[in-house]
Amino acid sequence: MTDITLTVNGEEKTASVPPETTLLKMLREDLNYTGAKLGCDVGDCGACTVLVDGIAVNACLMLAGQAEGKNIETIEGLSTLEEYHPIQKAFEDVASLQCGFCGPGMIMSTKALIDQGEELTRDDIKDALSGNLCRCTGYTKIIEGVIDAYEEITGKKVPETNPRAA
Amino acid sequence: MKPFDFIQPQTTDAALAALAEHSPNVRILNGGTDYVVELKHVAQSPGVVVDISRLQDLKGIEITDAGLRIGAGVTHSEIMADPLIAEHAPAMIDAAHTVGAVQTRNLGTLGGNLVTCVPSMDSGPTLLALDAQVTILGPKGSRQIPLSEFFVFVRKTALEPDELLLEIIIPKENLGKPAGFIKFGLRKGQALALVNAASAFRIEDGKFKDVRIALGAVAPVVIRAAKAEAILEGQAVSEDLINEAAKIAVTEASPIDDFRASKEYRNDLIEVGARRTMQAALAAANA
Ligand SMILES: Cc1cc2nc3c(=O)[nH]c(=O)nc-3n(C[C@H](O)[C@H](O)[C@H](O)COP(=O)(O)OP(=O)(O)OC[C@H]3O[C@@H](n4cnc5c(N)ncnc54)[C@H](O)[C@@H]3O)c2cc1C
Ligand code: FES
Ligand code: FES
Repeated sequence: MTDITLTVNGEEKTASVPPETTLLKMLREDLNYTGAKLGCDVGDCGACTVLVDGIAVNACLMLAGQAEGKNIETIEGLSTLEEYHPIQKAFEDVASLQCGFCGPGMIMSTKALIDQGEELTRDDIKDALSGNLCRCTGYTKIIEGVIDAYEEITGKKVPETNPRAA
Repeated sequence: MKPFDFIQPQTTDAALAALAEHSPNVRILNGGTDYVVELKHVAQSPGVVVDISRLQDLKGIEITDAGLRIGAGVTHSEIMADPLIAEHAPAMIDAAHTVGAVQTRNLGTLGGNLVTCVPSMDSGPTLLALDAQVTILGPKGSRQIPLSEFFVFVRKTALEPDELLLEIIIPKENLGKPAGFIKFGLRKGQALALVNAASAFRIEDGKFKDVRIALGAVAPVVIRAAKAEAILEGQAVSEDLINEAAKIAVTEASPIDDFRASKEYRNDLIEVGARRTMQAALAAANA
């Protein structure tokens, strides 16, 4: 067994898991953070996306032992029962999601993108979400939700067309 | 996953000692974007997994006496954001940007990409076109070999089980060498290359010099199209020669025919990819 201590959404957590445990499995089954989802289990779908030291990763591809001492953010850390995070609010307002399975991953990828603090274009958003698959929506309203959240959080505007496009 | 022992050394010496102790029943893990997927499918436990993701010696991008040094543990995202790479080897950024999606690029490392030694690896062609060298560390010390010798066969490199890849070096004389990279996949993100390509050359006195054309996903390992290179080498710059060289490049490749694309289609992509990367290198040379 490997003993692991890490921070999840600001709280220190410990677990003792076999070395062949992924970060996703440990979060879901040992620490009871079931927000990140198990989709493909091979890095293709992004349903398991969490932030590790601020960057988006597929928790299904990281061994629990590799997360030792790291700072993990999951969807559970975003809202309280009283209040949504602005990204969640934007996704709700434009009805970005249908079944919602891709939601935690989409929203964590969005958080990592907005947290970088850079000016965003629609193409940047598409690029940042290309590792998050959605089987329901067709993506249009997800991208609208991200744009609304970005504009709400940063006060900036996403240009209608991408000035950097060739 | 089959049970294994997990070691997370904090220093390169400790990592090498662990590899030596457990070799050959030992495997290296860095970003895990290739190896953790493999671990989920293998029938047999690797024995010991050595996580090298904490080794500072494998980090960092800097200019040294030898050239541009990129630690094997540098991630594709770090390459995309690095000012030295943007200045001295910008085609590497184009290549890094095509790897998987953000999550993959955040974990996946340049060293891990090269060591997988799959024909479709996206960092291979540009580095081959820039004559990259690699430094390998093992129980007997360090050795440096050209990347072209590092690639042995599909999923087989020149590494021994007790060795690790330390760094990738783009030689000093090739810093800023005009180059271009292209990847063709079935979609933009999260798709393996059907064909990828990189070209690099200098223009001196109106002539092509030190021409390199590298192709991926078209042979067991990433290859150089030597006959196509020879068409340009020493000749006066011309678009017609670029077109001719691109046609010759097709004859040097042996792409597969599978459910993702036919051999004929891949051959077309080789010609187009070789041509466009030569045109990109020419544009960079004229910039
Ligand atoms: C969804 C998805 C999409 C992908 N898309 C692409 C793509 O578009 N293009 C592409 O090229 N690749 C792609 N990959 C493959 C992979 O992400 C890259 O090859 C990545 O760079 C591997 O790096 P890593 O650090 O994750 O390697 P790991 O998985 O940690 O290791 C890979 C192999 O290299 C060995 N290794 C790693 N580092 C060293 C070292 N320093 N010394 C010795 N051995 C070492 C390991 O033992 C293992 O055999 C994709 C993977 C996934 C999961
Ligand atoms: S479950 Fe991790 S990427 Fe699909
Ligand atoms: S809303 Fe169902 S997968 Fe995205």
